[in-house]
Amino acid sequence: MISHRKTVTAWLLLTPMIVMILGVSGYPLIKTVYYSMTGAKLVAPELTDNWVWFHNYIRALSSANFREAIWHTTYFAVISVGVEMIIGVMVALLLNEVFVGRTLLRAMLILPLALPTVVNAMMWRLIYNPDFGALNALLVQFGMLDAYRSWLGDPATALDMVIVADVWKNFPLVALIALAALQTVPKDLYEAATLDGAGMWNRFWRITLPAIMGPLSVALVLRTIEAFKVFDIIYVMTRGGPASSTKTVSFYVYQEAFAYMRVGSGASYALIVVLISACLIAGYMYLIRKHGEA
Amino acid sequence: MSSISLSNVTKTFGAANIIKGVDLSIEDGELVVFVGPSGCGKSTLLRLISGLEEITSGQIHLGKKRVDHLSAASRDIAMVFQSYALYPHMTVAENIGFPLKMAGKSKAEIEAKTNEIGTILQLLPLFERTPKQLSGGQRQRVAIGRALARDPQIILLDEPLSNLDAALRVDMRMELARLHRDLKATMIYVTHDQVEAMTMADRIVVLRDGIVEQVGSPLDLYLTPVNQFVAGFIGSPRMNFWDATTNENGDLLLPSGTALSLPRKLTAHQPVTVGVRPEHLVLAADDGTAALQGTVLSVEHLGSDTFVQLHCGFGDPAQVDINVRFAGIVPVRIGERVNLSVASLDNWHIFDAEGIRVEAAQ
Amino acid sequence: MQTTLAKKICIYLAAALLALVIALPVLWLFIMSISSSTHLTTLPLEWWPDSPTLENYRSLLIYAENTPSQSFLYAIRNSIFIALAATGLSICAAIPAAYSFSRMPGPRRKNLLYAVIAIFMLPPVALVLPLYTVMSALGLLNTHFALIIVYCSILLPFATWLLKSNFDTIPGDLDEAPIIDGANRLQAIWYVILPIARPALGAAVMMSVLLAWDEFFYGLLFTNDIRSKTITVAIADLAAGRVADYGLISAAGILAAVPPVILAFFMQKTLVSGLASGSVKG
Ligand SMILES: Nc1ncnc2c1ncn2[C@@H]1O[C@H](COP(=O)(O)OP(=O)(O)OP(=O)(O)O)[C@@H](O)[C@H]1O
Ligand SMILES: [Mg+2]
Repeated sequence: MISHRKTVTAWLLLTPMIVMILGVSGYPLIKTVYYSMTGAKLVAPELTDNWVWFHNYIRALSSANFREAIWHTTYFAVISVGVEMIIGVMVALLLNEVFVGRTLLRAMLILPLALPTVVNAMMWRLIYNPDFGALNALLVQFGMLDAYRSWLGDPATALDMVIVADVWKNFPLVALIALAALQTVPKDLYEAATLDGAGMWNRFWRITLPAIMGPLSVALVLRTIEAFKVFDIIYVMTRGGPASSTKTVSFYVYQEAFAYMRVGSGASYALIVVLISACLIAGYMYLIRKHGEA
Repeated sequence: MSSISLSNVTKTFGAANIIKGVDLSIEDGELVVFVGPSGCGKSTLLRLISGLEEITSGQIHLGKKRVDHLSAASRDIAMVFQSYALYPHMTVAENIGFPLKMAGKSKAEIEAKTNEIGTILQLLPLFERTPKQLSGGQRQRVAIGRALARDPQIILLDEPLSNLDAALRVDMRMELARLHRDLKATMIYVTHDQVEAMTMADRIVVLRDGIVEQVGSPLDLYLTPVNQFVAGFIGSPRMNFWDATTNENGDLLLPSGTALSLPRKLTAHQPVTVGVRPEHLVLAADDGTAALQGTVLSVEHLGSDTFVQLHCGFGDPAQVDINVRFAGIVPVRIGERVNLSVASLDNWHIFDAEGIRVEAAQ
Repeated sequence: MQTTLAKKICIYLAAALLALVIALPVLWLFIMSISSSTHLTTLPLEWWPDSPTLENYRSLLIYAENTPSQSFLYAIRNSIFIALAATGLSICAAIPAAYSFSRMPGPRRKNLLYAVIAIFMLPPVALVLPLYTVMSALGLLNTHFALIIVYCSILLPFATWLLKSNFDTIPGDLDEAPIIDGANRLQAIWYVILPIARPALGAAVMMSVLLAWDEFFYGLLFTNDIRSKTITVAIADLAAGRVADYGLISAAGILAAVPPVILAFFMQKTLVSGLASGSVKG
């Protein structure tokens, strides 16, 4: 009979990857689903499981604390990604102009990107320090603040201050992607538009933005997916505090499972996070398929 | 040993039937050329023979050995790609030596063989260069050299000269022909170039839409195309066609009313298509005996030949645009009315309503 | 004339502002790292130490038992080892997979590719609980091995995707030619595809190392002492420590940032074009 050598080879080449992915991602994902319907505890999870069906989910969704964590995560994701997009595009437009020092400035963008997330978090934590932090000192010495404030100790400002730190680290990513896209826009398009009498504002909305929309939307979704996972920066800067005001869903799951040792309900929280992420990931898939086929 | 035979070979990609049952046998040492319109499956057929694609059904034999279940590597077939596919990170010598390295040959053997090939193809001075540092013709030679490295019995070439300029093409054509004579390898050659096909081929395979239309020597195809497609495809400029019928005697009845007595009679009263090659039309005197009349649309003087486009037919009805190729310089002007006749009775090609040749060879 | 001059001024002002915004926090981190802790806790804050000192770096880099240097140096060692091993393992599996996705496409494999990308984007909280219980059952918690394996869940899909996009740009003839020349698929990959894709391979390796170096979540949960704590966990520990020696913490941060920052500057071009192609082409 006809063999399908090529197909067989194709799958053979994939085997190491498939085995590893199934081992480190596929199996755990399914096991998480299983845990989420049990009352498993972190100590000896197999011994204590008792099947509870959707009880964990019902409790999770009716928990005000968890809903609050979802709200914090959403707030964090929307504001930080939104600001990153705006600053990123502005920086890209700036770097698309010709001026002395442009190359240096572009290279500098790598710095926040390459800085490990934990180091970034720690750096800003020191800067925000209520007693000896640079931010307080700077603002007071310039007369913009009367007295030292506890930026991360105040539930009203803590999350916003974390967002500032996150934006500082991640806006260069958006800027670099937007810049690369900008450089593919043909120059004569602008010249033609200028001849047609389009002003700067018009040129931006009619030519620049549509041209970079594709890569930008991919960056937007990617960043949002990342922002929804946020954990490191929260852990290092605030540990979810003060008064749970910076507790995001990942941190919530972490606490439920590893501080309170409730694996079962932790898993159900995790899967609710997955569900939210899945919508975003589906959006990302849609975008890359669309651009992949174009 | 290195004959090739295909029996009822088919290939489908998903739902698309690309090769629809090809039977073909190629003799040891033959140079066979595949021609056909773009997308007809020439490259696919070549890739099926090489083993780069797997056949969907049918059989392929090389010599007496059935190979359609074997991998490309174990078929021992060499191939020259249209893009040359030279390895950009290897020098010329490494490129040519690569098949030998894969065959597990020793360093000394590889060097001896690459040097031998380098000598044949005059590549020795270029041995340390990388493909980027070569001209198109040199790259082409390296690609051929790589194909020759393993002393293949069968060499497949997919439009090997199409990336070269016209002059280089002629040189390489001759070089390939010489190589074929010297190596006595079986070669299959895909080309779009009529001249290459006619001059190089022992036999030409005309493909259309995944089907073999005709296999034969270049002159066979030229003189007795089995159908209207082959007749139109072989020859440049292409054959001219008109609609006609047969009369009650089985002779050809031209639209002008003239009957043309044929040596062998056709079925009476059937619609046919008649074809005459551009080079078989000659100017005739304006004395009413000419077969065709037409108006000149354009004239191209090449010195050796004159190409003329005419709006032309048998009498006034059913005029079509045709091409004529006169030998030498012929002083016709645009808009001029001319009379044409067909040089010889053999030059008429007659096809039935299905396009099948109806007149057997004389 | 007037408008172009105004525009020029605007551009340079904006550029200067941007440079300050990027540089100042890092500069301050560096200044803290060369200041003594008494200087950093003097009010009002001074912006430059009267006597810059490398004492903080010395106490991190010169090994001594039961000091910050012990945990710091072990953490560096652990991170280097884990990042390299996880990268090696992932790249080895990613190369044939990327080749298969790129050169031997099929509808089912295409869907698998999308599934792999989707897995890459899953939040780690979705996987961490079973991974933890399995590692704990196997007695692998607090070992390098556990983190190496777990990091593959991040690095492998990423490297596969990156390499696949790059292999796509290599003309198809170039991997059929070696097959004709008698190579098998693995030889074709080894002798032809990988040498051609060497820049991309380098980028995949470096970015994988960066990802692994940066990882914190799994590191935090799966390790608990100097034998396997990674650098990110060590820094988080330092930052949360009772003795708040800001100078020391800053120095640790700077040191932890040096390898990835150097790596990133070094491969700036590939990084940017990788980012760009990843988002333009998907
Ligand atoms: N891998 C494939 N998957 C699907 N369809 C294919 C594949 N390869 C070829 N085809 C289709 O098969 C048909 C024949 O292609 P092939 O390349 O053999 O044509 P060709 O005769 O070589 O044309 P050309 O003269 O332009 O080179 C085309 O319609 C092509 O689209
Ligand atoms: Mg072709």
